[in-house]
Amino acid sequence: MNPEQASAQGIAQELSEMPPASATSLQLSVDDYLEVIRGVLDLYANKKEMDTIYVTATISSEAIRRVLDALDIDTSRIYFVDCISHIMMGATSAQLDEHTTLVESPTMLENLMLKVEYLIKRSESKDKLVVIDSINSLAIHNSNWILSEFLHILVSGLRSMEASTIIFSVEEHSTPEINNLVNLVCDHVLRTSNKEGKDEVH
Amino acid sequence: MPQKSAERERCATGVEGLDTILYGGIPRSNTILLTGSCGTGKTSLALEFLIHGAMKDENSLFVSVTENSEKLLANIIPYRFFDKSLVKSGMLVFLDLPVMYERLGMTKSELGTEEVDLLVAAISDLAEELGTKRLVIDSITSVCYKLKTSEKIRDFILKLGKALSDLNCTSILVGEVPASSNAYSAFGVEEAISDGIILMANMERRGDLLRTLQVIKMRGTMHSRAKYVLDLTPMGVLLVPLLKGGSTA
Repeated sequence: MNPEQASAQGIAQELSEMPPASATSLQLSVDDYLEVIRGVLDLYANKKEMDTIYVTATISSEAIRRVLDALDIDTSRIYFVDCISHIMMGATSAQLDEHTTLVESPTMLENLMLKVEYLIKRSESKDKLVVIDSINSLAIHNSNWILSEFLHILVSGLRSMEASTIIFSVEEHSTPEINNLVNLVCDHVLRTSNKEGKDEVH
Repeated sequence: MPQKSAERERCATGVEGLDTILYGGIPRSNTILLTGSCGTGKTSLALEFLIHGAMKDENSLFVSVTENSEKLLANIIPYRFFDKSLVKSGMLVFLDLPVMYERLGMTKSELGTEEVDLLVAAISDLAEELGTKRLVIDSITSVCYKLKTSEKIRDFILKLGKALSDLNCTSILVGEVPASSNAYSAFGVEEAISDGIILMANMERRGDLLRTLQVIKMRGTMHSRAKYVLDLTPMGVLLVPLLKGGSTA
């Protein structure tokens, strides 16, 4: 087992102990990125059998799906809200299926919330998870002020719908301001391996 | 948080976000102007209001003025909750107003004062016969073009509103305004005599076009006056607050 896999397993163990409808900030290193995606989706969508709404503003949903397919991860419970393919002019008709919803631009944060709400209402699964990948990618296109407002409304709304939230932030691309605005709305902060090791804040 | 006023019975629109904005729904028997420019979702919202009514056993009537109802139904959003049996059973009725004009012999481009009364009577008689509790006219602006003068428009809306209110029918009049307009109606009369105004618009922000909804006025209830962003989905109209950090207005 390589260090990334060990780290992801540790995170998966901590995530599996989170109470329902909680919001978690998951601060990860660039090196752990794909392993963390794999671990989170495998834990929630497969092992816990939760419908998982994956908001991607970093890489296209098609690319993530290819990775998951290569790793033999079942994607039948994963629904993508893809905020990046359209502005990359990379949206193909093949992507417009029941499992993929496009948002025209990561600046359309209200539409992002509306697509998430739509998928939650459509879901028949008792428990639901929403993953935001990542706050740093959204921060490229939006000011901290509007991001803070967005996170507050989104996470509060998801709590009221009894859905859990995990917000990814990539340590190498983050700033103290971004960490603060994520930590403000989250119940827990988890970090993948670094010099300080894992940390959890309540 | 303000208390929901208890004195007026509510007609829940079935659009969760809008009912929250209105503290439970439109006050029963009110006549509302649902106005906005093209492509803002007015017809979809009005139709959803009727479908939810019909699903709750409230007879609902859609009076189509500009679009043939068959075409309208063909273009309807594939709502997951829409059951075509509502139409078959007569809970949800579609009426093409041009057909009614023809039957009433209203073939001229402008209606006279007497014809206004005749039209009001024809619509309210039909609503009474069907036991209509929810009615939509899409669009009132097209009717107004046949009335021409402010006096006749005022007369028509006041009399129709009164007749429908007496039937305990909650009505939505769909209004059309140009995208560039700041007015709530094409003739400047409709908004003054309606019990409520719901404004739908397209809002451009940094090159993105957002569909918005705002309740401007609603007699008989407290309501939010904030602007919301909406999406037309197979689960119905969904609303979220407009993020203020990005507002251009």
